Amino acid sequence: MLDYVTSYLHSSLTPGQAGNWLWALVYILVIFAGVSGIVIVMNWGERKALAHMQVRLGPMRVGPHGLMQPIADAIKLLTKEDIMPSEADKPIFWLAPVWVVMIAFSVFIVVPFGPTHAVTDMNIGILFMLGVSSLGVLGIVMAGWASNSHFPLMGALRSSAQMVSYEIAMGLAVVSAIVMTGLGGIGPYGIGSGAGSGTLSMIGIVQAQAQQHVWFIFKFFPVGLVAFFIFAVAMIAETNRAPFDLPEAESELVAGFHTEYSGLRWSLFMLGEYAGMVAVSSIAITLWLGGWLRPFPSTHGPAINIPFLWEHPEQGVVDFAFSFAPALVMLALAFFSFFNAMRMPKHPLLKIQTIGLYAFGLVLAGVGLILLAPPVRDRIQDIFWFVFKIACFMYLYIWYRATWPRYRFDQLMKVGWKVLLPLGLGVLLVTGIIGLGPEIAAWLKGVV
Amino acid sequence: MSIAPLLNKVFMVDLIKGLKVTFKYQHPKEVYTEQYPLERPAIAERYRGLPRLNVNPETGETLCIACNLCATACPEHLIVVQSERNPATKRKEMTSFTLDISRCMFCGLCAEACSTDCLELSQDYEFALYSRDGFIIDRARMERGSEPTVYTR
Amino acid sequence: MTDSTKSGFYQETAGPDQTFLDANELVLNMGPQHPSTHGVLRVILRLDGEKVLGTECVIGYLHRGVEKIAENRTYTMFNPYVDRMDYVAAVSNGLGYCLAVEKLLNIEAPPRAAYIRVVLTELNRMASHQLWLGTHALDIGAMTPLFYTFRDREEILKIYEKYCGARLTTHAFRIGGTLYETYDGFEQDVNNFVKFVTPKIGEYEELLTTNRIWVERTKGVGVLSGKDCIDFGVTGPVLRAGGVKWDLRKAQPYSMYDKFDFEIPTGENGDTFDRYIVRIAEMRQSLRIIDQAVNSIPAGPIMAKVPKVMKPAVGEVYVSIEAPKGELGYFVVSDGSTQPYRVRVRPPSFVNLQALDKMVRGALVADVVAVIGTLDIVLGEVDR
Ligand code: SF4
Ligand code: SF4
Repeated sequence: MLDYVTSYLHSSLTPGQAGNWLWALVYILVIFAGVSGIVIVMNWGERKALAHMQVRLGPMRVGPHGLMQPIADAIKLLTKEDIMPSEADKPIFWLAPVWVVMIAFSVFIVVPFGPTHAVTDMNIGILFMLGVSSLGVLGIVMAGWASNSHFPLMGALRSSAQMVSYEIAMGLAVVSAIVMTGLGGIGPYGIGSGAGSGTLSMIGIVQAQAQQHVWFIFKFFPVGLVAFFIFAVAMIAETNRAPFDLPEAESELVAGFHTEYSGLRWSLFMLGEYAGMVAVSSIAITLWLGGWLRPFPSTHGPAINIPFLWEHPEQGVVDFAFSFAPALVMLALAFFSFFNAMRMPKHPLLKIQTIGLYAFGLVLAGVGLILLAPPVRDRIQDIFWFVFKIACFMYLYIWYRATWPRYRFDQLMKVGWKVLLPLGLGVLLVTGIIGLGPEIAAWLKGVV
Repeated sequence: MSIAPLLNKVFMVDLIKGLKVTFKYQHPKEVYTEQYPLERPAIAERYRGLPRLNVNPETGETLCIACNLCATACPEHLIVVQSERNPATKRKEMTSFTLDISRCMFCGLCAEACSTDCLELSQDYEFALYSRDGFIIDRARMERGSEPTVYTR
Repeated sequence: MTDSTKSGFYQETAGPDQTFLDANELVLNMGPQHPSTHGVLRVILRLDGEKVLGTECVIGYLHRGVEKIAENRTYTMFNPYVDRMDYVAAVSNGLGYCLAVEKLLNIEAPPRAAYIRVVLTELNRMASHQLWLGTHALDIGAMTPLFYTFRDREEILKIYEKYCGARLTTHAFRIGGTLYETYDGFEQDVNNFVKFVTPKIGEYEELLTTNRIWVERTKGVGVLSGKDCIDFGVTGPVLRAGGVKWDLRKAQPYSMYDKFDFEIPTGENGDTFDRYIVRIAEMRQSLRIIDQAVNSIPAGPIMAKVPKVMKPAVGEVYVSIEAPKGELGYFVVSDGSTQPYRVRVRPPSFVNLQALDKMVRGALVADVVAVIGTLDIVLGEVDR
């Protein structure tokens, strides 16, 4: 048994590939907890960032700067009366939120947080992700139907139409990225630099980017960028976020498909929505932004060797510098909370909050210090960069929501079918043409 | 379509302009919220809040001469003044004064009508109550005037 | 649903042979509790998918019988009530009522009072338009302008609070002038406000005017041409966006508006976008008027000679002013007693709301929300 447990530790495979069910379970639990953690942080972060963009303060009362607000909210939602409309289709009404959450979390099975940090690596990983994540709409349709009410029904109708039209553009963009994994082409490093072999595996895609020494967003510039742009737009539409938040459009449909939901069930929808946001962001990161790779992944600089601190002969000074990033970010956050604790108004009522903020800063600083230790530091690199990129995406989501008005239904369709779809087809075509450039040139010569 | 608007459209200048505004306002200095019980709003001198009955600061006697002008002026007929003629001084003396602030619209007509500057709208704005009963306030409450709520833990 | 069946809504549109369960039609009750019907307006929508086949407005949820109350109050006593109709533009309401009663009494407010009135009503127009802009943007999905406009409107409310002691339902004017003398630093405050808010209007525009989503959502939506406006009796910015240059401040100047130099912004297409542009331009014009008025307030009394007990001669007057939402008229009938025999208000919101059906027929659900927003209705005024 112990052998079974430890044998995995030295493998360089994901637990799924190694066939190790125990570690797979551990990974699943860790990812579940991690994603839930991201959702909690996101909940607080969204309210705070949105508030500050709108010259407000956001949550301030529960804990210092509202840090405990998500927990308070969770308790409130859990203890709320569970209301089910008497005319509702009960089993489906019950199933819909569960379904949404289940789907939102299932896709994380193949998300690679690092070369080995995934539950499993399927050879059709990206296909699995797209397939499963588009099942989420079923939950929304079920919710809309089962509520037996007009606003949810319209929300569900909008949602299904929206998903169908954006899935296609999204798929085309993804195919373009997958094609890139198999094409050396004329990258910034010259024709045929580091040609990879085509793959659908999520880990394989990131590794292809590493081998080709380029994030796919920059490959065949601007083709990769355009593909990424298409995906970025479709991704917002997929997750029902502003400016494409039509299914829940609060000013038109009250709350859209979850109008009739409250308490725990409603919170499941929210959990599903945020988890879905993280999931699609991780697809984008994996396909175009180099997954777990740090910026400039192939610049190593001169090799150095510092005993104990840095003992990777194959890596250089740049790697050494970047390895401090996680710790530095944590320490910066710690400094930020200390700074804010110092700026807290001196008021007897705020004493506990100030102390709490100092304590929070201490915890962050502690984490930062732990991350400095070489063994931890080296393990955490991949995960850190992945999560960091997710955080950037989440910020963008909030920023869009704060700034832009909402599209109307027909305009949304227009953007999907008349702009993104042709653009996606064009990008796919151009990717292929550039990628096969040498072959096409040779063939043309033969003809002429 | 000329070239400049086209470029604007392709590079989404219009959308980015908006993003710039929202980004700029994230600075903590721009926050406009007042954290109410900690920071109290500065109330203007002329603020029309809870009506108050002024007393002579030296003697502590009420300034009200029970002329009933305020009661007549009030559009909602919220004021009831009862008086008694003091046989010694031959003057009318106010015995009770009630005001239903649950229906008061703080228009200030009563204070304008008052002949002795006795009735005045004070700067007190914190008179929320848990039940409707407390809203009919009597002379004692009105003479005490402002009672700002003190928040404790 | 009883009231809508009674009103012949179904018979007229669905036809007698169609059963209640018609699968092609969806009857959607928007309101009275809906986030974007601006109060307690209830709109019954008949939908084909998302397309609007017809609407019916059900109003009266906020009816307080203001006009009836007037018959039991003296002229002075009724003054605070008019603030409660269009509570977003309380000062304009007060001005209209005071002007009407002044005309009935045959008196005129002294110039100083008139200037102060102009400053306050134009500030009120700013406040009303700002609130409109914020909520309209929120209806269309942009959350942030709401908070910016509320922040800037707060400065106006602070000036009101300092001037007359109330922020929203101000009761600032009295029949015959104003009760309150300007406070120390009034001019300073107003000038500061003008300086403060001018760049802010630019900011609202940066967020919205060129934004492609905003333009797509508003251009060509809820078109109401100038002719339609006149037919419906629609006034205010909605009329001007239809290309009709009609502003009571110019057409029949009151309260010394003829002394000030300003323009009437007009639109061309009469769609939601034009109404937005017109209102934004009106804010700028208001600032111009405020700037001129506040720096030239003449000295003198602020109250005309008004009898303590007002007993106007038997007669009737109709006085209308250009409120932020359109023509606000007061029809006051006196029977010679201290109380008006009848007060009838011509509320701009109520009249403008009529056009809703014409504007949204054939549009989508999202447009209904946009159109309700762009009409700038206040239910307190619609229902009175
Ligand atoms: S403020 Fe107005 S409503 Fe209130 S008691 Fe005085 S007169 Fe009546
Ligand atoms: S008007 Fe003034 S003096 Fe007369 S009864 Fe009222 S409070 Fe007293």
